[in-house]
Amino acid sequence: MRLPRIFPRPTSEHGIWSWVSTVDHKRIGTLYAVTSFLWFLVGGVEALLMRLQLSQADSTLIDPETFNQLFTMHGTTMVFLVVMPLSAAFFNWLVPLQIGARDVAFPRLNALSYWIFLFGSLFLNFSWVVGDAPNGGWFGYAPNSHVAYNPTDGMTYWVIGLNILGVASIAAGLNFIVTILNMRAPGMTLTKMPVFTWMTFVTSVLIVLALPVLTVALIQLQVDRLYGTNFYNSAAGGDPVLWQHVFWLFGHPEVYILILPAMGIVSEILPVFSRKPLFGYSFLVFAGVAIGFMGWFVWSHHMFTVGLGPAANSAFAISTMAIAIPTGVKIFNWLGTMWGGSIRFSTAMLFAISFIAMFTIGGLSGVMHASVPTDAQQQDTYFVVAHFHYVLFGGAIMAIFGGIYFWWPKATGYMLSEGWGKANWLIMLIGFNLQFAPQHWLGLDGMPRRVFTYAENMGWENTNMYASAGGFLMALGVLLFIINVFYSARKRVPAGDDPWDGRTLEWTMSSPPPHYNFATIPVVEHRDDFWFKKYPETIAEYYHDDHAGELTAPSGAQFDDDVDMAEDEHAEAHASDHHGDDDHGHGDIHLPDMSYYPFILALGLTIVGAGLMTIIPVIIIGTIVLLWGLIGWSMEPVNDPAPDGAAHGH
Amino acid sequence: MAASATYEVKNEYGEVINTSTGLSNKKLLMWAFLGSDVMFFGSFIATFLVYRNRSLVGPYPADVLDIPITSVSTFVLLMSSLAMVLALSYIQQGRQKLGTFWIFSVVVLGAIFLLFQVYEFNHFVHLGLTPRTNLFGTTFFILTGLHGAHVTLGVLWLMFLGFGSLKGTLRADNAIDLELAGLYWHFVDIVWIVIFTVIYLISARDVAPPGSPPFVGH
Amino acid sequence: MANFFNKLLYHDGRGWWDLPRTQWQDPNPEMEGPFGDGIIPIKKAWDFLTAASYHHGTPLFYVVVGVILSIITIVEVWAFNWLFLGGLLIPLMLVLSLGKFVLVVGFFMHLKFDRKYYAWIFTACMVVGIALFVALLLLLEFGHQVQQ
Repeated sequence: MRLPRIFPRPTSEHGIWSWVSTVDHKRIGTLYAVTSFLWFLVGGVEALLMRLQLSQADSTLIDPETFNQLFTMHGTTMVFLVVMPLSAAFFNWLVPLQIGARDVAFPRLNALSYWIFLFGSLFLNFSWVVGDAPNGGWFGYAPNSHVAYNPTDGMTYWVIGLNILGVASIAAGLNFIVTILNMRAPGMTLTKMPVFTWMTFVTSVLIVLALPVLTVALIQLQVDRLYGTNFYNSAAGGDPVLWQHVFWLFGHPEVYILILPAMGIVSEILPVFSRKPLFGYSFLVFAGVAIGFMGWFVWSHHMFTVGLGPAANSAFAISTMAIAIPTGVKIFNWLGTMWGGSIRFSTAMLFAISFIAMFTIGGLSGVMHASVPTDAQQQDTYFVVAHFHYVLFGGAIMAIFGGIYFWWPKATGYMLSEGWGKANWLIMLIGFNLQFAPQHWLGLDGMPRRVFTYAENMGWENTNMYASAGGFLMALGVLLFIINVFYSARKRVPAGDDPWDGRTLEWTMSSPPPHYNFATIPVVEHRDDFWFKKYPETIAEYYHDDHAGELTAPSGAQFDDDVDMAEDEHAEAHASDHHGDDDHGHGDIHLPDMSYYPFILALGLTIVGAGLMTIIPVIIIGTIVLLWGLIGWSMEPVNDPAPDGAAHGH
Repeated sequence: MAASATYEVKNEYGEVINTSTGLSNKKLLMWAFLGSDVMFFGSFIATFLVYRNRSLVGPYPADVLDIPITSVSTFVLLMSSLAMVLALSYIQQGRQKLGTFWIFSVVVLGAIFLLFQVYEFNHFVHLGLTPRTNLFGTTFFILTGLHGAHVTLGVLWLMFLGFGSLKGTLRADNAIDLELAGLYWHFVDIVWIVIFTVIYLISARDVAPPGSPPFVGH
Repeated sequence: MANFFNKLLYHDGRGWWDLPRTQWQDPNPEMEGPFGDGIIPIKKAWDFLTAASYHHGTPLFYVVVGVILSIITIVEVWAFNWLFLGGLLIPLMLVLSLGKFVLVVGFFMHLKFDRKYYAWIFTACMVVGIALFVALLLLLEFGHQVQQ
């Protein structure tokens, strides 16, 4: 059964249409990275405007309404349009390479995730163009976000925009769960996966389970705003505290969604530049899983001042303090990895080390919030702002920049300049601390968050001026990074396959990788498989003697769970049938064909979302586009037979 | 083990599943999605329970809910699940005509369930209960409405597959597509089992909470 | 006496609860355990109903499950209308509905017959979801009382 085609199946490998129709995980990763870096600049400009306003007392540069819009959109942009998709860029680029796969499990679904993300982010920011940007905070607390108190369209854009972005995140999360479980190379058991892949898996599970809760909260707020229902309408008995519960039920797993990929990146960088295996792999992985699980049961620590009663507050104080334990385990693992290693201070390593330091500071101020009486003093002050910027910028963004410096040579084939890179790192680190360390003092001194200005006699002017100067220094650091990108692109120092003496599978292939990734799917025998194949003499050095023999054994299955045993059974049962594939090289590699339908489907979904702002004809148009994309997608075979009968796609 | 590039595992449909766990990618995706949907409906059901007995004005559940009618529609949905599993069984065995018949039975039963829901919504609006009336109306209509939306999607999906089965593009060897739709359909059914229990069997006798005026109708 | 219990509870040094569960895993078709030979007719009936293929039941089996589901629904409605249970109503309804839930998930969605992996995924999500929302309900209920 075949529908008549409006477009022929895309085959071009160059030009804009090749990017629109691509299903290659590396190209999609690049799209994610470029898009979210642009949003990073937008969110940064929003932050700088706020810092300009706050640099002096009684400033009138920005009016209060615009300030509300700025901090709302800064938070929303940085969480949903920067850190999550930048992590997704790393997932896309690295997971298939690290597990020895040729693509993700569902390439078209992967493309769909990206296009939904792009259109959703454009829709959200379209609110700036119409002049009604969201202004209720990134948490959108009811009843402040209710139509009675917030009659402009801003929060409606926010609600619908985030719902569209949620679809993209859930689709990507499902895709990576299946990819990591099902697409591993032979021999790569769960306990031999690189830590970044593990953290991607935990993050994906969190995304898949947490984002639906946000979707529900947003749907409730949306029907309240648009159709006059009573979910958060206290006049009809609705309970605004319920919004806080539902939002933070999503919101706390969300902060681990933001930080776990960064932890994974750092866990890849540190062993390479310390020339040592990761210290305590099992502990590190288990700590990640434990964080992912415990992260569900700490949400009410965002609500200590609501008045939940002493029993609830105590329970959540204890669980919040308990979640610091696996986090602390990770920090000691990273320190243990560097301990006694021959450390090379490359730019990536410097970013990774500063991640550990900054994240530890942010973690410590986080544990302070776990104490209920302390939190009552710190609630809604700049102390909290300082805390979460230490974990999100000092943590997540530092690690992501480290990851960019680390994997850039693999992705592009040429090196980023180390000189510019170190300048970038230094300026960024100094600027960051200059901006956010003083905010601890400001917060303890009582300066409230989300207030557009402060009086002259409060004594906050100097400290705010330092913070603003720090903000512009950070912007200079980002500028240096951009300069570095253009400078290095012009210099084009070739990277070679393995510039850093890497440990995992992505360094086995050429830089940039061919679009089929692996000409021959590798067979994995160890953790850090590539390292031990390069340096087999180090196996005995790093493992106890009684384990060394097992680790060199071909199947190396002593850590297997039942799934992996099944895998090995299948591998042994069927290995003999398919020796032929080795000899053919990549001659018979089948990659999925390109497709326009993810783009069309994402477009339809976004049009429907836009139409939900009570514009009925737009909903109808959107539904038609959506159905066109959906039916076309399901009718389209993954691989079209080429006219001459030969398989194409490479 | 020799350094083989690939190894092949065939699933029950004979399709090669070249996966580490030996599980089908699509089916794993579907189950993970259903896990995600658990959180979606769980949040709405929790909201309903939080707001149970907290409406300030009527109609209250005891004034409008009609257990006999809803039991019939519940029965219809349960039977559609039975039809679904029979359809899958026959398509897998290659008995195309029986399979097609049962797929369209699911479509018809699902449509009947939706008609019941439309009738119920209309009836409630006539009794004075709308999503704007009170907390019960809000939580009831949005929860059952979103369940109805899931059913509608399932009906469209199965209709699509039913025509595929008629034309012969859905056969025993790609019955995995029907199995996925079936998993979705059964999931929608178990969500209804929970909704029927929570909204109807547990809450149907809820009257005005103390301090609120009883509902006297219009 | 000890010998009797050994025969009753153990088979070749393994507890009967520890024996291979399914026919194709079972090297020894002879059934031993607390029900002795009495289980063989039941097992034959089960095989007749379910052994159409490796991982699916026969149509007749599904019809039987459907009939049981209908009966539970009828019992629920009957108990709701004609039994005046007071505080027992909610637990009874929850138990009956849990039964329906398990039947649909286990047999219609094939979790009973399929690879255990799927059951793990779904159960894990259910456990997280139920734990979370029960905690939320307790929290709201509890906070409500404190305020009064």
